[in-house]
Amino acid sequence: MFKWKKLGRIFNPLEIRDIEWMKEFAQAPSVLIFDKFIRVYFSCRPLPDENGQYVSYAGYVDLNRSNLSEIVNISKNPVLKLGEPGTFDEFGTYPTSVIKNGNDILAYYGGWTRCESVPFNVAIGLAVSQDNGTTFNKVGPGPILSYSPEEPFVLSGPKIRKFNDLWYLYYISGRKWIMADGRAEPVYKIRMATSSDGKNWIKINKDLIDSKVEEDEAQASPDVFFYQERYHMFFCYRYSTSFRSKEKGYRIGYAYSKDLINWIRDDTKVGMDVSEEGWDSEMLAYPHVFEIDNSIYMLYLGNQVGRHGFGLAKLESYKP
Amino acid sequence: MNWKKLGRIFDPTKYKLVNNCMEFAQSPQALVFDDFVRIYFSTRQKDKNGKYLSHISFIDIDKNFENIINVSSKTVIELGDLGCFDEHGIFPLNIVRDKDKVLGYIGGWSRRVSVSVETSIGLAISSDNGLTFKRIGAGPVLSSSLYEPFLVGDPFVAIYGNIYHMWYIYGTKWIISKTNSTPERVYKIGHATSKDGVAWQKDGRRIISNKLNPDECQALPTVIKFDNRYHMFFCYRQATDFRKNRDRGYRIGYAFSEDLNNWIRDDDNAGIDVSTNDWDSDMLCYPHVFHCDSKIYMLYNGNEFGRYGFGLAVLKS
Repeated sequence: MFKWKKLGRIFNPLEIRDIEWMKEFAQAPSVLIFDKFIRVYFSCRPLPDENGQYVSYAGYVDLNRSNLSEIVNISKNPVLKLGEPGTFDEFGTYPTSVIKNGNDILAYYGGWTRCESVPFNVAIGLAVSQDNGTTFNKVGPGPILSYSPEEPFVLSGPKIRKFNDLWYLYYISGRKWIMADGRAEPVYKIRMATSSDGKNWIKINKDLIDSKVEEDEAQASPDVFFYQERYHMFFCYRYSTSFRSKEKGYRIGYAYSKDLINWIRDDTKVGMDVSEEGWDSEMLAYPHVFEIDNSIYMLYLGNQVGRHGFGLAKLESYKP
Repeated sequence: MNWKKLGRIFDPTKYKLVNNCMEFAQSPQALVFDDFVRIYFSTRQKDKNGKYLSHISFIDIDKNFENIINVSSKTVIELGDLGCFDEHGIFPLNIVRDKDKVLGYIGGWSRRVSVSVETSIGLAISSDNGLTFKRIGAGPVLSSSLYEPFLVGDPFVAIYGNIYHMWYIYGTKWIISKTNSTPERVYKIGHATSKDGVAWQKDGRRIISNKLNPDECQALPTVIKFDNRYHMFFCYRQATDFRKNRDRGYRIGYAFSEDLNNWIRDDDNAGIDVSTNDWDSDMLCYPHVFHCDSKIYMLYNGNEFGRYGFGLAVLKS
């Protein structure tokens, strides 16, 4: 059982006035730890276009390492450009997951394109930074992980990890599109691939996490870390339809594993739920857990999947 | 090469086709039986918004290629589900006999917003001699990758030794200019190999050199082995103004290889060109070359990308 203490909202993009590409949303936080600060990457959006459609960019805020509630710096520009016409990431980069690799920093990200029959499709791209994560360049114009017979669309939510010299990519893959109230909504499940070089990936082609609320439960943000002789995964899940409500919206789930492949889901151990009121009273989504200075923290999104920013919680206690 | 044209052998406007398809018989692909040849092709239905959906049909024709003895009356393969790579069309369906099964490699089309389409390659298998096909999964077997960012399509698979070889095309850019009303694509021919026909390894390189210019579009490769050499036919065109301008439209190109690795382009030896005033006088495209009873044939499309059917040529020398 985990017990988390909420430390409140850390960043609210609606309070940023002078950055055109950062008007709303601060989604899918992912950290990179520096000596004096921690950099939190997230995806944000300018105002929608005349058709009400958004693009999303990756940016960051730097938090004071000795006081994580203090923002010491905000990215001036998106860290990654959107793709050229017809490429997989022409209309958005969301989410982004970063990892150090020697002197480079690698970013695995979901790239968004727009479709006619369904609103979008997503595939996973790779970009590299050689300036400590301030800017990233794409390794190539196409995705590094794309569609396959059992993973036909919506490959998104990458989380890059390295354990015992092997690279692990946790991500989600679309299972089906459901038409609800005239709108196509995707159902997706948590999947995994491994790699010896971070570039060439082998999918294990298996759903890692059992579904709980319904067969078409959508699962996202598979965030894995090692702690006390086990691998732990926090993720989020929701109903397939009407999920923009409190009752059927995102909550945080939990699973553990000995081998990173076989996972036992046990949401009773999450130790974290929606608040009575405030910015995270309707939803909890996109958890990201990290360790600094002998403490474990979770960044997460609240209502409207991060439209009003992300918050922080600190682990108070854990018993297997 | 010296091809003798045998004329147009199928005009889709003269037949009733399934799925309410009206025109087009594109990218013909042969499956040879003892007594007849089954020729698959992509034909088109208009959806409720007036946009095209490409469906697969076939004809069975006698081995003189004169009498059509059957036209498919059932759906050969359904289009893909909502949001899938082949939701809006299959063009082509490349047919490969593999022991007791018939493999169908799907050139799948789905519509996009900023550009017209995206394509990927899927696999379906027939256990009833090619009457119907079922996908191995809802997604593709070959799709976009780091350096082949979009428009992976036009599969052609052949099995040599224990290796499955796939020739295909991939997009290199979308050209957006003020003179074009819509973005136009540029694509090149690539090659991948597989041990099982399902998991593919791309070579990751363009295998056919350009002839016209760097934006030359190369499409629909077909490969055949004879006289101890591998021969590839394909079609190529200018990237823009290729639909109505006879001088910029598709022609048949040719390359040969001794080792399936290095290809030497030699269009002067393609041995087939447009007619002077006929169904194939403006363009030649979507070639498919096959053996049948010790002869070698080429199926191909003519004007308007096959709107009025396909023709046949036989190799004389």
